[in-house]
Order: sequence, then structure tokens, then C-alpha cells
Amino acid sequence: MVIVKRRELTLAERLYLPEIGRALALSLRAMFRKRVTRQYPEEPLPTNEVTRGQPRLVVKDDGNIACVSCGMCEVACPAYAITIDGGETDRAIEREPKRFDIDMLRCILCGFCEEACPKDAIYMSDELELADFSRQALVYDIEKLKRPRSALQKRIDYVNKLNDRWRKPSSTR
Amino acid sequence: MPELPLWLVWVIKAAVIYGALLSVAGLMSLAERKVSAWMQYRIGPNRVGPFGLLQPLADGVKFMFKEELVPAGANPFLFRIAPALAALPAMLAVAVIPFAGEIELFGQRTTLSVTDLPISSLYVLAVGGLGIYGIILGGWSSNSKYSLLGSLRASAQMVSYELSLILSILAVVALSGSLDLRVIADAQQADAALWNIARAPLAFLLFVVCMFAETNRHPFDFAESEPELVGGFHTEYSAMRFALFFLGEYCAMTVMSCLATVLFLAGGAIPFWPDAPWWAELASFLVKMSAFLFLYLWVRWTLPRFRFDQLMRLGWKVLLPLALFNLFATAALMAAGVL
Repeated sequence: MVIVKRRELTLAERLYLPEIGRALALSLRAMFRKRVTRQYPEEPLPTNEVTRGQPRLVVKDDGNIACVSCGMCEVACPAYAITIDGGETDRAIEREPKRFDIDMLRCILCGFCEEACPKDAIYMSDELELADFSRQALVYDIEKLKRPRSALQKRIDYVNKLNDRWRKPSSTR
Repeated sequence: MPELPLWLVWVIKAAVIYGALLSVAGLMSLAERKVSAWMQYRIGPNRVGPFGLLQPLADGVKFMFKEELVPAGANPFLFRIAPALAALPAMLAVAVIPFAGEIELFGQRTTLSVTDLPISSLYVLAVGGLGIYGIILGGWSSNSKYSLLGSLRASAQMVSYELSLILSILAVVALSGSLDLRVIADAQQADAALWNIARAPLAFLLFVVCMFAETNRHPFDFAESEPELVGGFHTEYSAMRFALFFLGEYCAMTVMSCLATVLFLAGGAIPFWPDAPWWAELASFLVKMSAFLFLYLWVRWTLPRFRFDQLMRLGWKVLLPLALFNLFATAALMAAGVL
């Protein structure tokens, strides 16, 4: 058992007014302090290469994506957001996705697809905004997922640097 | 300029003053949000119009188009009429506020107030006392325990604090020797030392405290008291009728601020400028009134709410004896020729 000793209020405190005056002074000072509000759409949150936004497919310099539709990301995805239909191609990699959909409403931005990808084809971008008028519009297909390499370069470098930490020295690029 | 008949001048004055009152009440809803934001390191509404100035308009449009619900078991007639009854008294009371001295309007000399009654301070109190009907009827006819409790508290509170309010005004009336607000204001005109805030500081203090209680504002807003009563007397209200309650509250605040300005700060008088033109008087009146309105918001966003028994104790055991003492002391000092 704890006995809480309440302090006797002084006369000035029991009169209310001096304390009210102090409180009013406090809130008046607060009016001139720096604002903490962020004017969101005009002033977006700062992002950097550590930001794990929505996954995007990297478009290589030859205009193609690196995906060979192996399905590793599809399996790794804990939210079942990714759907891939593989197909053949005349390019050297022989296989490419005929369909690569990510349901952005299911995606939880965990980054497992990025980790799973053996071809460095999918990376987490810094894009976080997601709004549309229908659910269907938020199921992104290949065309909506493509991003030029330059837009994702910082993230690619960052992820590779992280991965270097547990790669064997011999396999380090 | 063509000369207009006197009645038309009165109609114009009434329209302008009521338009101004409603605009101030609307702006107060914005000011409330702005001031609360500033005191909490935020910015406040700033999307509708410059600095959010059109926000009250947007809110009004929103309220108009919202669905209006009448709860099951409510008394529909009283339920519908109560918000109007709550808003009306404050709007009526502004009629006798003397904003500035005589002006020349369309060839008629007239005073800048809707009307001048010889007993205007009584009129303000009488009409203001009616405000409780809207609140108690609204709470009672809603058929909801929260509403009923809120309105009961509000009525108990307003009745208790009205006494001290009237007694504090009485001291001012004794000092000026008139019930006419214009005479009370003019009596303080000559010198800032004659302002009633200097001559009757205790009455001023009592008036300011009671003014908060009379308009059901923080720290005496037991009628609403969100944590325990959901929303108090307006719990069951929606759409424009809900807004009417707030319009009434802001109008009452504005009228109370006007009253405080007239009674204690000499209305539109400006120190060291005895014969100021009417527009300067009006501007000075508005500045003083705004100061009181800001005080309302400032206190609201600073102080916590009282407990109900504390409120009653303060009203009956502290403010009422103080007000009686103040009246007696004023009378004694006047008899002794000090005041």
C-alpha cells in the first residue's frame, strides 16, 4: 500500500487567479513558438534510400526489365500481392513475365520481394502515396511498375551495400 | 445624398448590426480553431480561402446539406424550436449595445445602435436570462439522458452565476447613476481614470468570471462536458440546428464582450482623444470587444474544466458574497465621496 501525501495548496493556489494567470501566460507564449505542422501535400515527408516504399521493377539501360519470372518474389510475398505469369522470349534470358501484377492494396511494403529477387529486378522505391477511385486501379501491372534505373539507383546501391555484409568476400562485386 | 425616412434608417441600422453580429459569430468559429491551433503549436484551418477565412462559409454550407435527425421519442416541436430559442436571446440583446456616438446617416442624425432604451442594461439581462430556455428545452426534448443532464447542469449554473453577474453590473449602474448603457459608457468618456475597470476593479473581475459561466464557456462548460456527457444538451442534434446552438453561443459571447466593453472600458472611448470621430470610436469599440473575445478563446484553450460541485461552491460561496460585498463597498465609498 502506498500512502500518497497530498500537498496542501497555498493560499495563492486556492485563490485560482494567480495560477490562472500563469497558465494564461504559458499558453500565450505557446502561440509564438515554432509550428510543428507539416503542410503535407505541399511539404512531403523527406525520403531517402532507406525509405521502403512501394516495390517497382527496374528498367535496365536496354529498355527491358531483368525479371525472368522465376516466381521467387511471388513465393516470398507474405501478403500474396504478387501474381506472375511466365512466358518465353527470344532474348538471351529466355524467360520473361507475360504478366506481373502487384496488388498495391495487399502489399505491406515489407521488402521481401526485393530480398528474394535473384536478378536484381525488383526494388523498393521511395513512392508512398497510394490513392485512386477503384480497387482495380490499384492492381499495378508491368507498365505501371516500371521505373528507370536512375530513379532507383540510390536504393540499389544501398541494398547491395547491405548485402555485401554477409556475402563471402570472394563473391563481392 | 437623398434624405431617407427615419424608419428606413432604422431598418438599415438593424440589418447592418445584425449582419455584423452574425459575421463575428461566424468568424469566431474560425478564430476558435485558429487560436486553439496556435496554442498547440499547430497552424489551424488554412485551406479554404486565404488563412482559412472562408472556412465558416464552408462549414455553413456543410451544415445546410447534412441530414437532420430527430431521435425516437423526442418531442418534435420542442426539439425543433429549441436551437432557435437558444440563439435568439443573444441576437436580441445586441440591439441596445451602443457601438458609437451619433452619426449622420442618409440625412438623419442617429446613434450607432439598433435602439436606445433608457433601461437597456436591464433589457440585456432580461433577454439574456431567456437563453437558458433553449438549452433546457433542447436537452429535455431530446429524450436522452446525456442531453437532459447537460441541460440541467447548464440551467443550474446559469441561474447561480446570473446573480453575481447582475450584482456586479449593479455596482457599475450605481457608479453611473443610470441603467442606460449609453449613459454608462458616456459617463466614463472623459478620462481613462473614470473607466469602470479602474473605479470598480472587483466588479470587473466578477463580471469577467460570470461572463464565462453565463455563456457556458470553459472552464464552466458543464452543459457540454464531453468526457462525461458526450455532448451535453446538443448530443442529439445534427445539421443546421446543431450549428444554431453554436451560433447562439458565439453570439452570446460577442454580446457579453460588447457588454463588458461598455460597462467597464467606456465603450468606444479613446484615452487622450476626447472628441474622436464616430469611426474611430467604432474601431476602438471593436478592438476592445475583440480583446474580450480573445480572452474567451485564450481561457478555453488553457484551463481545464471545473468539477461540478466546485463550480457550485465557487458560484454560491465565493462569487455571490464577493459581489454583495462589492456592491456594498461601492455604495459605501460613494456615500463617503471617494468614488
